[in-house]
Amino acid sequence: MTKTWYSDLPVYYQNQIKAMGLDEAGLARRRFMKGAAAAAGVAMLGAHSRQATAATQMTYMCWEGYNDPRIIDPFNKANGTEIGFDLIVDSPGGFAKLQAGASREVDLVSSDMPWITRMGPAGIAMELNPDDYADVYATFYDQFKPPFEPLLNDGKTIGVATRWGWVGPCVNTDVTKPEVWKTYDPVFDPANKDKICVMDWGDWPILPMALHAGINPYEELDQAALEEVRKVLRAMFKNTRTIVGDLTQAQKGLLDGSLLGCIGAGSYLTSAVRKQGHKNILGLVPEPKNGLKQGIIWVEATAILKETDQPELAQKLLKHVVSKDSGKILSLLDSTCNVVTNKAVEELYSQEEKDILQVDYMWHAWDNSQMHRIAPNIDEMLAIWQEELAAAK
Amino acid sequence: MEQGVGKSWRDPELLWKALPSVLLQTTCFVAPLVMTFLLTFQRTRDFQLRWTWDLATWTDVFSKPHYWTILGHTLVMALACVAICLVLAFPIAYGLATRFKTLENEIKILVTFAFITDATLKTFGWVLFLDKKGAANYLLTGLGFPPEMVSFLFTDWATLLGMVYNLLPFAIFTLYLSIDSIDRNLIFAAYDAGASKWRAHWEVTLPLCKPGIFAGSVLIFLLGVGVFLEPKVLGGGTSPMSAELIRQTFETRVNWPLGAALTFVLMVVSVFLVLLFSRVLGMRRSGFGA
Repeated sequence: MTKTWYSDLPVYYQNQIKAMGLDEAGLARRRFMKGAAAAAGVAMLGAHSRQATAATQMTYMCWEGYNDPRIIDPFNKANGTEIGFDLIVDSPGGFAKLQAGASREVDLVSSDMPWITRMGPAGIAMELNPDDYADVYATFYDQFKPPFEPLLNDGKTIGVATRWGWVGPCVNTDVTKPEVWKTYDPVFDPANKDKICVMDWGDWPILPMALHAGINPYEELDQAALEEVRKVLRAMFKNTRTIVGDLTQAQKGLLDGSLLGCIGAGSYLTSAVRKQGHKNILGLVPEPKNGLKQGIIWVEATAILKETDQPELAQKLLKHVVSKDSGKILSLLDSTCNVVTNKAVEELYSQEEKDILQVDYMWHAWDNSQMHRIAPNIDEMLAIWQEELAAAK
Repeated sequence: MEQGVGKSWRDPELLWKALPSVLLQTTCFVAPLVMTFLLTFQRTRDFQLRWTWDLATWTDVFSKPHYWTILGHTLVMALACVAICLVLAFPIAYGLATRFKTLENEIKILVTFAFITDATLKTFGWVLFLDKKGAANYLLTGLGFPPEMVSFLFTDWATLLGMVYNLLPFAIFTLYLSIDSIDRNLIFAAYDAGASKWRAHWEVTLPLCKPGIFAGSVLIFLLGVGVFLEPKVLGGGTSPMSAELIRQTFETRVNWPLGAALTFVLMVVSVFLVLLFSRVLGMRRSGFGA
């Protein structure tokens, strides 16, 4: 039997080589290796020539969803850019990362509004001239048009609001009535022991509980007020079945009825389930109590980094993100669905999509909510949370 | 021997050869540790790190009992996990090394599957199984168990189950390697000397397995003190462990000095317990490979 360059290979590959006619070509190993080396050389040259005509590189730090190819690809195509992403896991973490030096790499950032505002005094984000964004603001809801106070630092605009929603009890109307949740009382009802879910998203579960206790967490708190926060968290933990950091766990519990209500979340949690057809899952806002609005409005905003080397492109990208077409995509993602600040997007929604987003409810939620910002005593409240959680069992 | 060791430190060739390793260890291990320790003497204000050089963080750590409650809970859970894993893994590893030689490869592949399957996937799989409306509860309810018996999910027991499930393969493999390397003639010699099977096992097999028991225990213990998925997903987050506390301190509170201090406390306590355990097993005297 004649030994060929491929006779050591398994029979299957030998047959494949014969079928492809590679044996007849008399391809010696040396020739094969030379050919492979040449191919590699060509590939490297190709890569080099690609680099020579490379697209403008940009980096966008954002929540998942803002990186949707349906939003980004048209921008890349129109502007010859190649956008890389730095996805945010949590807003403080994103802020800390930028502060630790990532601001040199990132051009644009979309995060929670209080953190965007904070990027102004921290010297991370650029101050924007609202006149440069007049075309963008023209189609915005009045509530988000400049001067939009929560995004101002010393009277200067730091970013543009993009997506928003509300924080309040999330419930399954098959197992509980929305009327019951006009207050947070069911959270503390002994009858609901082990039926309450709390989202472990930093300050989100703490702030509504403070409001329920009659404490405004967005004001400077004294020791007595912090003690009230401690008491309300202690009471909340008594009925808590689970503290979850993951949306799907809370959504599953609400759907199967093992959880009566979820605290510390809101439209961000319920909308994706509603998109799947479960219209019995609702994001509510309780009625005002003790003169305090009990709901909380969260807003995401987008800012341009001070150290960007592409300020014009970054501005273009910001405008693109809040545009009508991008807004529609951003508001109806698979992972979460939320209303956006661009009023023009509303025209694009079908009735079904409006129902998913609870568009009919959103201004009721707005009217009964506080605007979220960084609570001055949040670190003390988070420390109390840790202490009470450790003592809960 | 002592002389040999002493001489090696003065051997320029050996020092030169060890340099890459020393550099690697210094830059990748010692330097980050030193930086972490230095971080504990700083403060954060307005979510920004301030270089202050004071003991405020350490005062906080030693004055707040809840940090220690969580640490104690973590250690208990990790030690319980070690004990359960050893008890479960020993017969499996022993059987694998001595009784099921013909099926050895198949069993090894099955155990290896546990390594290549993502822990997140496995942990969430348990949620579906243990959920109030999951298969386990359906079976238990069908068998007539009362409702309080079937609400197993979101308890410490569920956390422990997840830890044991995810870490058991580490114990099986370390014990298997240890048992497999035992010279069978030593056991036969024990039989010839009149030892019963139990006595031979107790006096020959087990002592020779000590390196494997030690390695498996240390591995599981150190991985156990660092778990955060199981207490969060299976334990329901209501009974946090140290890794979650540290994550929360770093990420949510953006209190890096405190997070660094808590990390240090966990590391020091863990290393102390490992050294104590090695002393108890006599590993330091006999050497790891003895």
